[in-house]
Amino acid sequence: MKKEMRKEYTIALVAVGLGLLAGALLMLVTGNNPILGFIYLISGGLMNIERIGNTLATATPLIFTGLSVAFAFKTGLFNIGGAGQMLIGGLCATVIGLTLNWPKPLLLTVIIIASALGGALWGLVPGWLKAKFNVHEVVCTIMMNWIAYWSVYYIIPAYFKGAYLETESRRIPEAASLKVGWLTDLFRGSYINLGFFLAIIAVVVIAYILERTTLGYELKAVGLNRYAAEYAGIQSNRNIILSMMIAGACAGLGGAAFYVGYASNMQIGVLPSQGFDGVAVSLLGANSPWGVFMAAIFFGVLHSGKGFMNAMTQVPPEIADSIIATIIYFSATSVLIEKYWGRLQKRLAEKEKTGPPLVAEEEIKEKVGGAS
Amino acid sequence: MVKKVLVVLVILVVAALILFNVGEKTGVLKKGRLKIGMVTDAGTIDDKSFNQGTWEGVKQAGEDLGLEIKYLKPAGTTEADYMKEIGNLYDAGFKFIVCPGFKFETAIFQAQDKYPDAKFVIIDGNPHAGDYVPVVKENTVSIFFAEHESGFVAGVATALQLKEGELGYIGGMEIPAVQKFNWGFQQGVKYANENLGTKMVIRPENVIYQGSFDNVAAGQQLAAQMYDRGVKAIFAAAGGVGIGAINEAKSRMKAGEEVWVIGVDVDQYAEGIYDGEKSIILTSAMKQIKKATYDMIKFETEGKFPGGQILTFDATNDGVGIPENNPNLSAAVESKVAEVYAKLKSGEIVVADVQGDLIR
Repeated sequence: MKKEMRKEYTIALVAVGLGLLAGALLMLVTGNNPILGFIYLISGGLMNIERIGNTLATATPLIFTGLSVAFAFKTGLFNIGGAGQMLIGGLCATVIGLTLNWPKPLLLTVIIIASALGGALWGLVPGWLKAKFNVHEVVCTIMMNWIAYWSVYYIIPAYFKGAYLETESRRIPEAASLKVGWLTDLFRGSYINLGFFLAIIAVVVIAYILERTTLGYELKAVGLNRYAAEYAGIQSNRNIILSMMIAGACAGLGGAAFYVGYASNMQIGVLPSQGFDGVAVSLLGANSPWGVFMAAIFFGVLHSGKGFMNAMTQVPPEIADSIIATIIYFSATSVLIEKYWGRLQKRLAEKEKTGPPLVAEEEIKEKVGGAS
Repeated sequence: MVKKVLVVLVILVVAALILFNVGEKTGVLKKGRLKIGMVTDAGTIDDKSFNQGTWEGVKQAGEDLGLEIKYLKPAGTTEADYMKEIGNLYDAGFKFIVCPGFKFETAIFQAQDKYPDAKFVIIDGNPHAGDYVPVVKENTVSIFFAEHESGFVAGVATALQLKEGELGYIGGMEIPAVQKFNWGFQQGVKYANENLGTKMVIRPENVIYQGSFDNVAAGQQLAAQMYDRGVKAIFAAAGGVGIGAINEAKSRMKAGEEVWVIGVDVDQYAEGIYDGEKSIILTSAMKQIKKATYDMIKFETEGKFPGGQILTFDATNDGVGIPENNPNLSAAVESKVAEVYAKLKSGEIVVADVQGDLIR
């Protein structure tokens, strides 16, 4: 178990290294100094307390969507409906925040529960269709994304539009916002909010469910082999639905963290990119809750440091976006690296037995494979 | 497990502290030279419209006055995203920041207090706290354009050139700047019908707001429907949606049909070229975004930054109107339009910036 863990960490780090290398190449090609670029990128994310706060705030929705994808993965399901689940979670949060006029602690509790329920509902539908009719969840969750997108597109302007703007809701009142004064002051006016702590709680809870409960055991069993699990008396249908609901709830909470925490109102016509970035976060985090947490923080640094790198170097914004995308892309290839890792180790073990074979060739192969 | 996470967090914090020092050092930049920054609104820098117009003004000023310039593209369109990019520019020493678009209103409201030694220009918007009560601090200037006058002139020019037939309008989002273009355009057409003997018609079903600024395909569809209904020219004040309308007109013109588009914000003639030099852009209802941006930067270098003011660019200061060269307008039309423009300038003609009894 321990060894397995170490291996996953190593693979993730190699993936990140490869990603940075690819980003560096892109910087070199565009005529910039990669070392300087990375210094600015990282200092942009972390160089003062405000920026650290912003990095964590940027990472918060990614933790949720990453968890969502990772959790569904454990049951062998591919949830790429994170964006839609986020939207619905955010919509529930916005609707309640703009309608009810309750004291802050009570209102926030209701908002958090409602956003989780909304997300869970958006996971329930594909889960149920998968369990009952074996409709592929990828197709379903993508469709659900658009249902959420257009629902928001209709509901916000029709009932909650701002005084002059058709395209966004009214501003979330202070009492309904996950932003709190002491936290904002602590981080010198950054956008960090209670959502971050909520995310940590979610990570702990999900880790607990997966590692310490019967439910988690059953979910994983269904993920490893549905039929074997059924043979062992596990109701796989129930578990598929439940898994998608919990995954949806995670993303729904991410929606609350984004729309009533990070942002100050809900805009229509935007499918949140965090929903899809969640897949990359989950891959890099090797589908483990704490892995997801760290991967999300890493992505947070990249996303919030990008602007500063941009401002300090001659990298055009469009190229900066590509550099970040490249780093993310390569980081998400950890699966590939894992494959070669296994081979490499086998080869090394053989070498110990039979003397020096062609290790160099294997290494070259690994690099080529990882970069293609 | 938790221990490991803690270790990683500690490492991150240490790294942050080390980098903090690096940041401090690089933060000390050569003083003196003004550096001009811009944060883009939704859409790209080459949107042939708002962002591009602003950036061209910044670029021109950079060249003429020898200033360092830079634009940043926010990750999203939330206040937090805008604030982050403004902070990035500020930390990198760009202390004069131009932001095009009403979406920056609340961000600039915060930024003007947070960075008191920086100057801000917001175009098409007023800084406010979310309650629409304008608060323009001494380090900020907000710029508005009389879109209705621009639409009016374009409407007159279109009516004069086409004489009779139907016209249409495609707007992006139903926001004040876009609505004013529409209302002005309708008044211009009406003016030409009543005073200059044209017979143009705008029917209510041909006045549509698409609801976004980036849905090119929807713009193309809307334009196709209007042209099918017999519309001769469409005034498209809709960013990317307008590009869709332009594309539709281009393919129809190539197929031998005579259809036109009236461009918006900047001179879109080049965007509408379908064959050699020929373009489907009849004329454009311009806002001199470039000039306004350039002027603000120039004022700053001369120490005359009009901080705390809300400026309006209209016909009286040549802030709006149609392009100087309109290859698709006849010389007679152009001189007639110039007469009308002069009347607008002198105040003889007044264009309303409210809907009144106009369509939508």
